[in-house]
Amino acid sequence: MEGAEAERPGSSRSRRPDWPGWSCCAAAAAGFAVCLVGWLRGGGTLSLPWVPSLDLRLSFAFDGLAALYSLLATGVGVLVFAYGTRYLRQHLVEDGRPLSEGRRFWPWMGLFAVAMVGLATATDLVLVFVFFDLTAVCSYFLIGFDRERREARTAALTALLVTIVPAVALLVGAVLLYSAYGTFAIPELVARVGPGTTTTVAGLLIAVAALAKSAQVPLHFWLPRAMQAPTPVSAYLHSAAMVAAGVLVLGRVHPLLARSELVLVVLLVVGLTSIAVGGVLALGRDELKQVLAYSTISQYGYVVTLYGMVGAAAAGAAAFYVVVHAVAKSALFLSAGAVTTATGEDRLSRLGGLGRRTPVLAAATGVAAATLAGLPLTGGFFSDELFFGAAKEHGPVLTVASVLAAGLTFAYIGRYWTRLFLGPLSTAPGALSRVLLVPVVVLALVAVVIGIVPSPITALAQDAGAVSHAAPVTLSPAYHLDLRGTNVMALAAWALGGLLLAAAGLRDRASRLVATAGDRLGPRRAYTATVIGLRRVSDRLHDWETRDLRSSIAAVLVPAGALAVGAFAVTPVTQAFAVGPIAGTDWLVLPLLVLVGVATLVAARTRERLGIVLALAAVGFGLAAVYALRAAPDVALVAVLVETMLSLVFLAALARLPGTEPHREHGRRRGQRWRDPLVAAVSGLGAFVVIWGYLSEPRETPSVAAEQARLAPAAHGQDVVTVIVADFRGLDTMGEITVLLIAAVGVATLLRRGRLW
Amino acid sequence: MTLATAAAAALLFGAGSYLLLQRSLVRVVAGIALISQCAIVTIIGSSLSQGRAPLDPAEGGPLSDPLPQALALTALVIGMGTLALLLALVHRVVVAHGTAERDELRDVDRPGRDEVVRQEGDETE
Repeated sequence: MEGAEAERPGSSRSRRPDWPGWSCCAAAAAGFAVCLVGWLRGGGTLSLPWVPSLDLRLSFAFDGLAALYSLLATGVGVLVFAYGTRYLRQHLVEDGRPLSEGRRFWPWMGLFAVAMVGLATATDLVLVFVFFDLTAVCSYFLIGFDRERREARTAALTALLVTIVPAVALLVGAVLLYSAYGTFAIPELVARVGPGTTTTVAGLLIAVAALAKSAQVPLHFWLPRAMQAPTPVSAYLHSAAMVAAGVLVLGRVHPLLARSELVLVVLLVVGLTSIAVGGVLALGRDELKQVLAYSTISQYGYVVTLYGMVGAAAAGAAAFYVVVHAVAKSALFLSAGAVTTATGEDRLSRLGGLGRRTPVLAAATGVAAATLAGLPLTGGFFSDELFFGAAKEHGPVLTVASVLAAGLTFAYIGRYWTRLFLGPLSTAPGALSRVLLVPVVVLALVAVVIGIVPSPITALAQDAGAVSHAAPVTLSPAYHLDLRGTNVMALAAWALGGLLLAAAGLRDRASRLVATAGDRLGPRRAYTATVIGLRRVSDRLHDWETRDLRSSIAAVLVPAGALAVGAFAVTPVTQAFAVGPIAGTDWLVLPLLVLVGVATLVAARTRERLGIVLALAAVGFGLAAVYALRAAPDVALVAVLVETMLSLVFLAALARLPGTEPHREHGRRRGQRWRDPLVAAVSGLGAFVVIWGYLSEPRETPSVAAEQARLAPAAHGQDVVTVIVADFRGLDTMGEITVLLIAAVGVATLLRRGRLW
Repeated sequence: MTLATAAAAALLFGAGSYLLLQRSLVRVVAGIALISQCAIVTIIGSSLSQGRAPLDPAEGGPLSDPLPQALALTALVIGMGTLALLLALVHRVVVAHGTAERDELRDVDRPGRDEVVRQEGDETE
């Protein structure tokens, strides 16, 4: 850091505090305090109408689950933002970018935290969907912050697509539940929903969205790529936002999911697979942040597995696990960022022996790693104890699986820490800024405090678990110096982890094998192929659409026609068409319409330009007479005026053009001569069916006309049409005048060869 | 009467779309003029009530529906603005390129488009 600033002596701007960053930090701290007070006071609910016609409400509840995730988002936020103020500046200086680019960073960071708190407190499924997508949008801009790097852009796009497309499934699931039970409110759904096919399908859809967000196999591949983000973003995204949003939604709708066996089995399978895949891949990764990313996949696999096991113990354990993981993971990320900043290296193979040079960082990171590994005197011990306890209740298979999972975690995080801080020194670290170090230490202290006094977190997890379980939950994490089941499982996991740590060759080979298999057959390949394929289709469509004017017009008209056909296909057509009575002046209108028809055909057929103009004028004046006869004097007068002006404008334009159209449309292939008339006939017929059907269906009530006629004198007018134009719909008229003005400016500019003055 | 109005409107639309497909830009503009006439006829045809002109409503008796008439007024004026702008564009095209034929204009405005596509193609892996 000192080095970086020494390169720019006298640069007063780089010494100025990062006000946007610190104000985000202060806002997060204030939010944390508010959330804490809110939780201690017992929470509360807020429900405002949003779109009453769709039964949408802005309903928020500050219950246990909301408190837990809000406190995480704001609490971790404070530390990460503080860290970010220093990190971001250094990052920008190193890349030779102006510090003002930080303006693109902090608003998204702040919005990220807000969206997360919103998601935590929302209890309306549509509102959940909105906040869910908001976090994805924020992450898109944050992951792609280094926008001039191609990897960052693709990583941002991948994260956006992989999390937002499945998020649509959440909306579909919400609508399914609404159609069956008539409400989007989660508490009401929990009270009403029973087991059944709808519940299963909706549950699966919601689970897909949540699992993709939490980077669970097979939609996990976006997360390791998202490492392109600046470190504070990674730390926040992995611990308290974005990835946590997935398990948050699972926890929120868990009472619904628990009504279907199938959904629970899916959760269990996905969770256990993610633990295994994430853990094994983390064992072999070289890049610091990659190890941590795969570790996140594995860790959220624990939480998903816990949600797959139904029960009070599992629901409480899941909540406890999320807190402990968030603390440990954000500390690990911030420490990885600090290491990279100090040494300039981001690979385990080029780092080592940092322990002696940076003892404080090594100790703090060690505590975080021990928390992940579940060692005593850290919060991790209790979260593993609860995990083992819940697994033990669900039979021997899960018991064994949980021990294997914990062993795997112990091994990869052990490898990470020992490679980084023990052994011979590879790259000497530079000086480390205190702002980069303090957050790591604070988080490590929090982990230790949880490991010694777990009761506050236990209370929080009990409250949150009670929401997920829809019944009170009691947790009692404590140290027991005996050989009870959970202790034996923990010992077995450490032993297994130690063995894996020792057997380096076997471990690396297995990890490499899995990584290769994943690259060959994995979902990432399918994703890439899909994106490239879609892109090709889009390019081809675009090329076709912009080839010439004809295709551009067809691109609008053909889908419009298809929509109309579709509308006719799904509506009954019997009695939809009426011939309509003919009376009074209508006998005069009919010959006028015939005249207009003839003039129209002439306009279409003639090759003389003057003929086109005259035929158009005949159409226009004929129609003006029709309007006059149909008791619309205002329209008739304006039509006459407009037609006169248009005819003059047309004539003026023609004065500049050759007199006749080219007679033959040369260069045509055989069989194309009838194409245009055929297309015109089809579209004319289509228009006929649509317009006739539309005109045949008069709706007598409720007509606004009578009301407008009654009110017209009050608006100081006798002509109802004028009053509508000038008064009732005055804003429309103002818009219309604006359009006319723009058109006039356009015409003037074009006539003066692109210059207005 | 409903049938007659619909037939007239459909004829206007069909002829308009035929003209839209032509090579000459002047005829394309004429096609747009016909299609906007079709829209106005449809709007006027959709009046819910028939009667005397909607003037001096205090006199009593059935009035023609004033709302479609107000909409038709808007459509007429906007249509005129659009057409004037289109004609000015055609005029400018003729001045700049010496022709108002679409086929002859096709290659005028696409310099090096393939290069742009190739660059963009690299974005996705």
